[in-house]
Amino acid sequence: MSDETKFEPRIVAFLCNWCTYAGADLAGTGRKQYQANVRVIKLPCTGGIDPLFLIKAFERGADGILVSGCHPGDCHYNSGNYHARRRWNVFRPLLEFCGINPERIQFSWISAAEGGKWVETINGVVDSVRALGPFEGYHKINAIGPDASSEKS
Amino acid sequence: MIEALRKKAEELLRSKTVDVVYGYGEGSVPERTRPVFITKPEDVNKLTWNKYCVYNLTTYLKKQEARKLGKPAIVVKGCDAKTITVLIKESQIKREDIYIIGVTCTGIGEPPATKCKACDVNTPLIYDELIGEKIENKEFSFDERYAELDEYEKLSEKEKWDFWQKQFAKCIKCYACSSICPLCFCDRCIVDKNQPQWIDPSAHPRGNLSWNVTRAYHLAGRCINCEECQRVCPADIPLNLLNKKLAKETEKNFKYRSGYNVDDELAMATYKEDDSEDIFK
Amino acid sequence: MEKTLKKENFNSLITGLKDKGYKTIAPKKDNNLVMLDEVQSADEIHLDHVQTNNSVKEFFLPKTEKILSYKIEKNKVSMEEPEGFAVKTVIFGSRPCDAASLPVMDKVFNWDCSDKFWVERREAITVVTIACDKCDSYCFCTSVNLAPDSKEGSDVLLTKISDDEYLVETVTEKGEGLIKELETVFSDPAGGTPERQIASVEKKFEIDKVKPWLDENFVNKVWAEFSTKCIGCGACTFVCPTCHCFDIVDECTMSKGDRVKNWDGCQFKMFTLHTSGHNPRSTQDQRWRQRIMHKFKYYVEKFDNILCVGCGRCSRVCPADMNISEMLEIIATEDNQKE
Repeated sequence: MSDETKFEPRIVAFLCNWCTYAGADLAGTGRKQYQANVRVIKLPCTGGIDPLFLIKAFERGADGILVSGCHPGDCHYNSGNYHARRRWNVFRPLLEFCGINPERIQFSWISAAEGGKWVETINGVVDSVRALGPFEGYHKINAIGPDASSEKS
Repeated sequence: MIEALRKKAEELLRSKTVDVVYGYGEGSVPERTRPVFITKPEDVNKLTWNKYCVYNLTTYLKKQEARKLGKPAIVVKGCDAKTITVLIKESQIKREDIYIIGVTCTGIGEPPATKCKACDVNTPLIYDELIGEKIENKEFSFDERYAELDEYEKLSEKEKWDFWQKQFAKCIKCYACSSICPLCFCDRCIVDKNQPQWIDPSAHPRGNLSWNVTRAYHLAGRCINCEECQRVCPADIPLNLLNKKLAKETEKNFKYRSGYNVDDELAMATYKEDDSEDIFK
Repeated sequence: MEKTLKKENFNSLITGLKDKGYKTIAPKKDNNLVMLDEVQSADEIHLDHVQTNNSVKEFFLPKTEKILSYKIEKNKVSMEEPEGFAVKTVIFGSRPCDAASLPVMDKVFNWDCSDKFWVERREAITVVTIACDKCDSYCFCTSVNLAPDSKEGSDVLLTKISDDEYLVETVTEKGEGLIKELETVFSDPAGGTPERQIASVEKKFEIDKVKPWLDENFVNKVWAEFSTKCIGCGACTFVCPTCHCFDIVDECTMSKGDRVKNWDGCQFKMFTLHTSGHNPRSTQDQRWRQRIMHKFKYYVEKFDNILCVGCGRCSRVCPADMNISEMLEIIATEDNQKE
């Protein structure tokens, strides 16, 4: 990654099983192309995503993160995404306050039917993180201890 | 005021209303006080009150060693009293299990603590007995309340990162910040869990960032701004800035201030359908 | 060997050290704290303090340190040990109590096996101490058989003899070598007996009475009475120059990792918690007792040394104003009878 023109961001996407994951699946079945920089982690609900998951992703070399779940009102468990929304509304400013560019942590609502929105969103995330460049700050502090960013995934 | 405090404590102990009084006593040096636990009416002269009574004594409600002494009366300032409201809301204590001796306070510490600058609880909002002349609580605007954040918020992204990296580098992972926090009451902290190891226990930049961010976040919508974490930090990290930032976001987004009203729903345990959607695509 | 060092020559001393390839650690002002830290020039050095907030411990036993890295590939495990951790360093301006902690801890780090991280750093680091010209009410070095101008553990001892001059006494060969290396910076004493400016530290208790009491009073209500206010944070153990407990953890992914040594402390509940859930020191008074017992009884029995140098840091930093010398005063004046 020393050559900046070759920088390919690593994006970790935490997706809700009931909507965005299915939406991403739909994009695949529909043979829609999107940038291959994303590693998807499927979870039952955005309400169950602890902010530590995001910190861990950065610790393990992510340059950007996407959290995506059901549209408000559509939660499989009624209110998980509403709780998640509260969480991210305070967590993101906290990271920003600590000097982490908020563009590196993005959120979206994508339903199981929105394969197109998934493609659009993930391309948007990859492009904006690519423009920001590698997350040098975190890569530097990851240098102590095992840094999985050099590991093949 | 000290006399009134001692008299009340003596009365409570004699009548067996409580078994122990958590209060302030003389410290190692005149500029310091220390927590004292008075169990005998004849010992009430050990109680004192002055501008060095910095401790938030409600933290002892989570300590088995203090709880063993029986039903407590706690001497609280306005800021400390907010903790009790949160502890009741979070089902950690029952209102009837403690006796609250509120003291009116016009600021503590030398130089005065930052929290005292925009203090709107000179008179505690919750108490059983009030010691000292009742003071009309002031009101401050949103901007005044969070004024100390301004100079940090306007830093550039890189300056922010560098500032906090420098601060966190000093962390020695003694966890005094969470030990002193009356609202850090988990029997087993996330940092002590190692299956999986969520937070690296090492005091290196990565472990320190994860720890300090997580500690602050776990107080989102809960911290009552007693500033104890910052006071006790042996590495002098301005931890309260993080807490205050979260309090600001909580108030901005959810119109919620922790510890002010026992009837409010806890900010992070509830939601509204019309919560801000700004950051969602 | 006796020399003198003028304050105006501090700069040539620091640059001289740099030229000779030394890293220099000295007290530095950092907001509200005075910290021993790396300095590049004499302007950064801060000497108008009683005690630095951190002790010299972290330069010999860092708060976190990698002791090996490993990789697991198929049927092979490869390991790599760190090198170059012992850097040629001079610690300038630490206090005599801090320096005195080093020979005490040498005993434990050279006991059943020799800890190479400690030993190699001890060899690489030269300690230039400045005798205390002031103290505060937390200091109690004189109560633990030390003094504000003790030479134990120092390689060179500086003592203030006027506002801008220090008397330089070499204590060890290593110290003598250092002075010779930088000869031009030092002057010859003017002759006569210079007036040494040394703080007078009040003696608070008879240390000889402490151990006999501890021998008899493993069970005593004093422990709990004194420690109800303890919040169990362990800040005392981390700032202590003689507390040396550490924890070893692996920071790893599935295929590789680092084995890391981190400071740990007996005041934490987790310190003694067993996997079964049983905790032999389940309450804070037991943990507080352990700290006192280890310092003034167990260590004495094992290594014939008190594990305390009377720096007073634990009492200064304590969030609940637990004062160790106060505890020892209580012990030393208690009737030496088991309850």
